[in-house]
Amino acid sequence: MKYSLLLAALLSMSACASNSMVQRAPVTTTISSEVQKVEVVNPVEVVSKHETKKSCMGQNVLKENATLRVDVVGQGVAPMNTASPAQAYALAKRAAVADAYRLIAEKVKGVYVEGNDLIKNMMVQRSTVRTSVKAMVRNAQVVETNFKDGLCEVEMEIVLSHADFAQ
Amino acid sequence: MALFGAQEYLISYRYVVKDAMFYNEKLYIAHSMQKCQGVEQEPLTLLLKRPTNSLRQIIEEHQEQFLSYIQTLGIDIDHSEKTMNLQNSSTTIFTLKTTCFKVDINDNFAIIAPLK
Repeated sequence: MKYSLLLAALLSMSACASNSMVQRAPVTTTISSEVQKVEVVNPVEVVSKHETKKSCMGQNVLKENATLRVDVVGQGVAPMNTASPAQAYALAKRAAVADAYRLIAEKVKGVYVEGNDLIKNMMVQRSTVRTSVKAMVRNAQVVETNFKDGLCEVEMEIVLSHADFAQ
Repeated sequence: MALFGAQEYLISYRYVVKDAMFYNEKLYIAHSMQKCQGVEQEPLTLLLKRPTNSLRQIIEEHQEQFLSYIQTLGIDIDHSEKTMNLQNSSTTIFTLKTTCFKVDINDNFAIIAPLK
């Protein structure tokens, strides 16, 4: 009698164990299917992101055997204490040319940006952003100059070719 | 075009723009103390209003022409900008690095050619 009870208990335990294994099997499959799903979905997303980037940047990519024209408008202000309007124009134009060169350098080479926030007692005490650009620019051309109300605007362009950057 | 009997000068030029306003400029001119290396590039010809031997005077009288000419040689731009508590300030330095020029000055014109 004892042995039969023990046998029945063992059988029931083994049945439970087999049931649980059967139950586990679908879980593992669902997980793997989920994983497969993720694997399928992700490349699609990556491709779409890549395409959007391509479409945004498509116009500004320098390709081999092609030239790229970069246009900028630099602004300069005439100082207050000038001897004549001509001097004001000359000085404002010089400031505008430097600004245009800076814009060309920013577009072609890039900008170094450094940010720094000081937070004390959960309040922003000081927020600082520093940007800097260093570049050598050659063969930029002044296209147009406008001077109105003490503000000088200089439109400049530079034509870049792949050979300029080839090493 | 070879410039015979021309003298060699070292020229550098820089100006500073602060907050979009012209701040100061410096033009350095010196006789080259030793022969410069390189080949003459496309020259700049300046017509003189009155005879002079001073290169500084000639360049200052034709500053616009000289500036647009050196832009073809290559200009160094160094710009830094700081925004602190939403207040912005910027400094831009426009520089022609020291370059050796062959300069031929006559009664009526001056020819300036960089050596590279």
